[in-house]
Amino acid sequence: MDDQPTRPSRRGFLSLAAAAGAATAVGGFAPFTASAAPVRPTASPLLAPAQAARNQLWWQAPASADTMITQGLPVGNGRLGALAGNDPAAELLDLTDLTLWTGGRNDVLQSDGQFPYGRDDFGSYTLLAQLTVNIPAHDLGVVNNYRRTLDLAQGLLTTTYDIGEASYQRQIYASRPDDVVVLHFSQRGGGSYTGAVSLAGTHGETTGATDSGPLASFGGTLANGLRYGAAVTLSSSTGTVGRAGTSLTFSGCQDLTVVVSGGTDYAPDFAAGFRDPSVDPLPLAQSKVRAAAGQTPTALLHTHVADFRAAFGSFALDLGASSDSQRLLDTAGRLQARWRDNVPDPELEAGYLQFGRYLMVSGSRGSLPLNLQGLWLDGNDPGWMADYHTDINVQMNYWAADRLGLPACFDAFTDYCLAQLPSWTDITGRLFNSADNRYANSSGKVAGWTIAISTNPYGGGGWWWHPPGNAWLCLNLFEHYEYTQDRAYLEKIYPLLKGAVQFWEARLVGATVTDPSGATREVLIDDSDWSPEQGPLNARGITYAQELVWNLFGHYGTATEVLGRDSEYARTVAGLRQRLYLPVVSPTTGWLEEWMTPDNLGDPQHRHLSPLIGLFPGDRIRPDDSTPKDLLAGATALLTARGMNSYGWANAWRAACWARLKHAENAYRLYVTNLKPAVDGANGSAANLFDILNISDGYGIFQIEANLGTPSAAVEMLVYSRPGYVELLPALPTAWAASGSVTGVGVRGGFTADFGWKNGRISQVTLHSATGGSTTLAANGGSHRVSVAPGGSVTLRNL
Amino acid sequence: MPQSRTSRTGLVLAVAAGLIAAAPLSSGRAQAATTTTVTQTSTTGAPPALAATPYMGWSSWSMQSSSYPGLNPNGSYSYLTEANVLKQADALATKLKPYGYDYVNIDAGWWMDDAWNEGFDQYGRQAPNPGRFPDGMKAVANRIHALGLKAGIYLPVGLEKGAYGGGRTPIWNAPGCTTADVVYPDLRTTNGWDSSYKLNFGNPCTQKYVDSQAQLIAGWGYDFLKLDGVGPGSDKSGDQYNNVPDVAAWQQAIATAGRPVHLELSWKLDRDYAAQWKQYSNGWRIDTDVECYCGTLVTWDNSVKVRWNEAPAWSDVAGPGGWNDLDSLDVGNGAMDGITPAERQSYLTFWAVNKSPLFSGDDLTQLDGYGLSLLTNREVIGVDQNSSPVARPVSTMGDQQVWAARNADGSYTVALFNLAAAPEPVTAYWAALGFHGNASVRDLWNHQELGDYRDRITEALPAHGSRLFTVRPGGSPLATTAYEAESPDNTLTGTAAVFACATCSGGKKVGNLYQGATLRFNDVTVKQAGIYTITVDYISGSSDRTARVYSGTGSGTSLAFPDTGDWNTVHRISFQLGLKAGTNTITFDSGSWYSPDIDRIDVPQAAV
Repeated sequence: MDDQPTRPSRRGFLSLAAAAGAATAVGGFAPFTASAAPVRPTASPLLAPAQAARNQLWWQAPASADTMITQGLPVGNGRLGALAGNDPAAELLDLTDLTLWTGGRNDVLQSDGQFPYGRDDFGSYTLLAQLTVNIPAHDLGVVNNYRRTLDLAQGLLTTTYDIGEASYQRQIYASRPDDVVVLHFSQRGGGSYTGAVSLAGTHGETTGATDSGPLASFGGTLANGLRYGAAVTLSSSTGTVGRAGTSLTFSGCQDLTVVVSGGTDYAPDFAAGFRDPSVDPLPLAQSKVRAAAGQTPTALLHTHVADFRAAFGSFALDLGASSDSQRLLDTAGRLQARWRDNVPDPELEAGYLQFGRYLMVSGSRGSLPLNLQGLWLDGNDPGWMADYHTDINVQMNYWAADRLGLPACFDAFTDYCLAQLPSWTDITGRLFNSADNRYANSSGKVAGWTIAISTNPYGGGGWWWHPPGNAWLCLNLFEHYEYTQDRAYLEKIYPLLKGAVQFWEARLVGATVTDPSGATREVLIDDSDWSPEQGPLNARGITYAQELVWNLFGHYGTATEVLGRDSEYARTVAGLRQRLYLPVVSPTTGWLEEWMTPDNLGDPQHRHLSPLIGLFPGDRIRPDDSTPKDLLAGATALLTARGMNSYGWANAWRAACWARLKHAENAYRLYVTNLKPAVDGANGSAANLFDILNISDGYGIFQIEANLGTPSAAVEMLVYSRPGYVELLPALPTAWAASGSVTGVGVRGGFTADFGWKNGRISQVTLHSATGGSTTLAANGGSHRVSVAPGGSVTLRNL
Repeated sequence: MPQSRTSRTGLVLAVAAGLIAAAPLSSGRAQAATTTTVTQTSTTGAPPALAATPYMGWSSWSMQSSSYPGLNPNGSYSYLTEANVLKQADALATKLKPYGYDYVNIDAGWWMDDAWNEGFDQYGRQAPNPGRFPDGMKAVANRIHALGLKAGIYLPVGLEKGAYGGGRTPIWNAPGCTTADVVYPDLRTTNGWDSSYKLNFGNPCTQKYVDSQAQLIAGWGYDFLKLDGVGPGSDKSGDQYNNVPDVAAWQQAIATAGRPVHLELSWKLDRDYAAQWKQYSNGWRIDTDVECYCGTLVTWDNSVKVRWNEAPAWSDVAGPGGWNDLDSLDVGNGAMDGITPAERQSYLTFWAVNKSPLFSGDDLTQLDGYGLSLLTNREVIGVDQNSSPVARPVSTMGDQQVWAARNADGSYTVALFNLAAAPEPVTAYWAALGFHGNASVRDLWNHQELGDYRDRITEALPAHGSRLFTVRPGGSPLATTAYEAESPDNTLTGTAAVFACATCSGGKKVGNLYQGATLRFNDVTVKQAGIYTITVDYISGSSDRTARVYSGTGSGTSLAFPDTGDWNTVHRISFQLGLKAGTNTITFDSGSWYSPDIDRIDVPQAAV
């Protein structure tokens, strides 16, 4: 690009989008449109109770309206979600659609050359609607044996309780095939339901209702032009249903089905301004709930469970047996006991991982990716707008997809990056080198794309520029290729990789460094930058950027080889990579340097592990002969200095790093630290297992990364992999060592693995591969060469 | 009568305790299985003439104190009128008398005009205000009696300043005595508002003054007197505010007044004088006013909930003849009361298990359906009125509390409370009651047999909610192993030390557990790993003692210990800890605060 980039024309946008492959590549994104009639299973897909019990969490009290974020339980169909309170007398659902965002492109920089970051300009994720089902006679004061169960494998939230002689059950789920949230109420023993359903918007909408159905609904348009709508209807094979004002009523019903849906006209299409003008959300929501209500409750349930089970997949994890005492406690009680007694609860610890998988299946299918709160909200002022944070948060979310055997859930992240790329490229080209931007390229050149620390779904950035953010997104994107070995996927993301490479080609600056020997050499370093999120704002050659760019250039080289593209440019990039400065250990602190200086310029215990990104998620720094001992020692010393007592995602990241260093007990300690009960807003796990970040005394907010990153760290404890090499049980803690097994865990190089262990030793391992491939497999101190045919599997016994 | 309100910032501590003092068991390192012995306090002989059970009825003060629209049209406290009292008496007779509510109590102000100017007769006794009570107090009492109800009246303790009359006011039926004779020469004041001169019982005229007041109200036909502002208590302490002689004088005066009069003391009486209150009166307010002095009658935070923390200190004091008075029961009308349905149920549940007098402060003419159902639940009223001891907390975990009392027939009254602002499950472990296995559970609020529950019952309670059960053990006594705190095998750190303790098992305890001091039991041995319900016998004459208790390397659980009332009485609470098979440590850590004195712990032989 020229020094003074001009604003591209609309035609330019379109061609850019075409070049990015965006127009065709985002087929994974399913906008809120009329969907084809679902394929309905002919036989029940429901798991037998004993089988289902393996992946269930349960609780003995509902949430209240004030505690939805800590006690509400999540359901979601990948786009449409809800937090449910499950109070028998006052069911409350906080309904969300991943695309219901305020804000816009936000492409006018502030006077400091950085991005505005408000709920109107940058925007915020907000609620779709709140649904209440009031059943006054079912007051908790008369309810016995209350229990709510979250069935992770079937995507079912079931509440049961007794009143008098009657036993009640309500089942809530978010069906992807029918594109609705269903609440089905049933009973045994002569019970009945009488009450009212109401649906309310949270942006000042007016709900209307009609006797036909009956049905209640509302529609609206945000200030940014995004249109949305929601609708609810209900049916019963007994009793009476009707309407009272804008509420729907039911009386004397032995069963009741409430169906709610909604959505927006968002489209992942930069050229179309991220709108689909063909979508009219309100009538669409109305027709969806009417269509679903026309199905029998059993048909709706079976269709949902068949879909959800397939998405949840066969990943299984056994970390050992818990005691009868532990099994008698509900999930919240087990969290408390785990912390109180420091006695391992292997089933809880495995359940926490499966809960992470549940969140990903529920929140990352066919729409935008999981944001800072995944899919779930309890209000319209989520922390940091519940945006996409690119200096750990969104990346950590997607560490989980392949590791936890949910590669399809990665697509939402890929599709997002592809859909945003035209705007990111445009904004980078026009604005990055603005004179006010302290991070601007001193070369005066700019090319490709990068991002801000925060990104929204409208192509916009928020807060500060984040030059290495592009390389970190690409690290995730390329890792997915490493896991899947899917060439078509690599083709799809190639424009992202190449654009990021081009950005760095234009940005890197030369520097002369003196090695300990006294010799000097010329290197390439990052320009003026900030190591997230501490220290100077104008540091050159920060370790974070050097490591990420080293990865980016390497991955780009691999991609060009695999795809047979841009071989000449690939040589250029390989040359740049050879000249890249890589960090050294500070003779002053003994730590791996963070700022290309021996001096410590920040907080040694800072939450971010930016300078350790080469340890994890990168793996340049390895506890083997490939890594100089002093470098390994410096990284270990820095990780040690960072401490064991951070919170949420910072603990998860530390745990993954310790796993990479094969320090099982540190990794495990951090894992269970994230299971500490989050009392009064403290850091840790809320009763509903949502990870809570303490903001101020007595107040914490939900941030989802640890719910996904902590399980990813657990996988790193069980299996380390890179293309061509896999090591089993690199960091197995004592608490899990007695016996265990994992099925369906992702292995880089195109494999998944099933293996079991006893007393810390692998008893058997099976590698599966869709694409076929070879790898070295290390286990029990030995190593083996394994080749798997495409679609085949190989089992090794007596290792 | 109005009192100055102070803001309450203290949290309701999670309180817990054993039912009653456990019988001493073998001393030292008892490794033999012992079964918890729970003794039953019961009374024998003829019931007392007054307050054989906690009284029930209505009081005027809650409505007088409230700025709820329409209640006090002529200024603060103006609700108190003859017409209003009789209206409430009619409603009480109609709606609540069949359930045992029979006192109609006139509170402060019957001798004041609407501007709160007092009136006295020529003998320095309070004189009815003709604006409020045009027919006089005797006529009102007669009307109340005609409904088959009892009449109550109110006086502040001491000689009210307005009655002094320069010291020249004669004392009725005491020739030669004037008001100057009944007070101290320095006119020292007394009572919770310093609104009276302190009575000097060194002069025989003084008893005559109290006699004259007693004769007056007995002559009018009153059956009940609330004596208010009594100290030590009523936010006052020291000799000047020691009204024990006043209370004794009142008992003596009533005895010769020709009519039995129930004597109730107010407010927040000093627990250190419990023996005197018990000796001379029929009931004592243990806490500040329950009313909020706001737009409703009460609020949960100010000051209903504080009673969960204050009541345990008094559990051993109450009994036939005199009861712990938790103040008005304002649960009859949700809008006027200012609390949620769940809070209203918890309010009455707590009053009942504490055997507090049950007197409504509501507008009985406007009880809502839910309020009437609460106030007329015979099973719950039965808990208040039966012969069982006052309940104590038997377990604590944050805001989730279980209180229990052992009934004469071997069953237990068990109340579950969730004092948190969000729904939570609350579990009662049978092991905390000394047995395990099945027990049948009856839901008293809902009049329902819930069936058998093994080892525990858990219910989902709403914010500030409660349940009330009768639990009938069908299982077996719990085999436990006792570990004495004073055992030489334990490790004491910091200031912790062994002390003699006559009421403790083994005659010793560990005390001085404060500011980092710890007590560690080193050899708690169980056969199987699991989570155990462990009990601790302790002494704490203070309501704010805490300890963190943990096993092994756990983070433990923070226990708030309910007040045992004094530094001699042993009570018991339970808690859950995980133990591994074999030998374990259990540590009581005072942290940065003060812990109670520890007598011993009892560990079940199997995880329950």
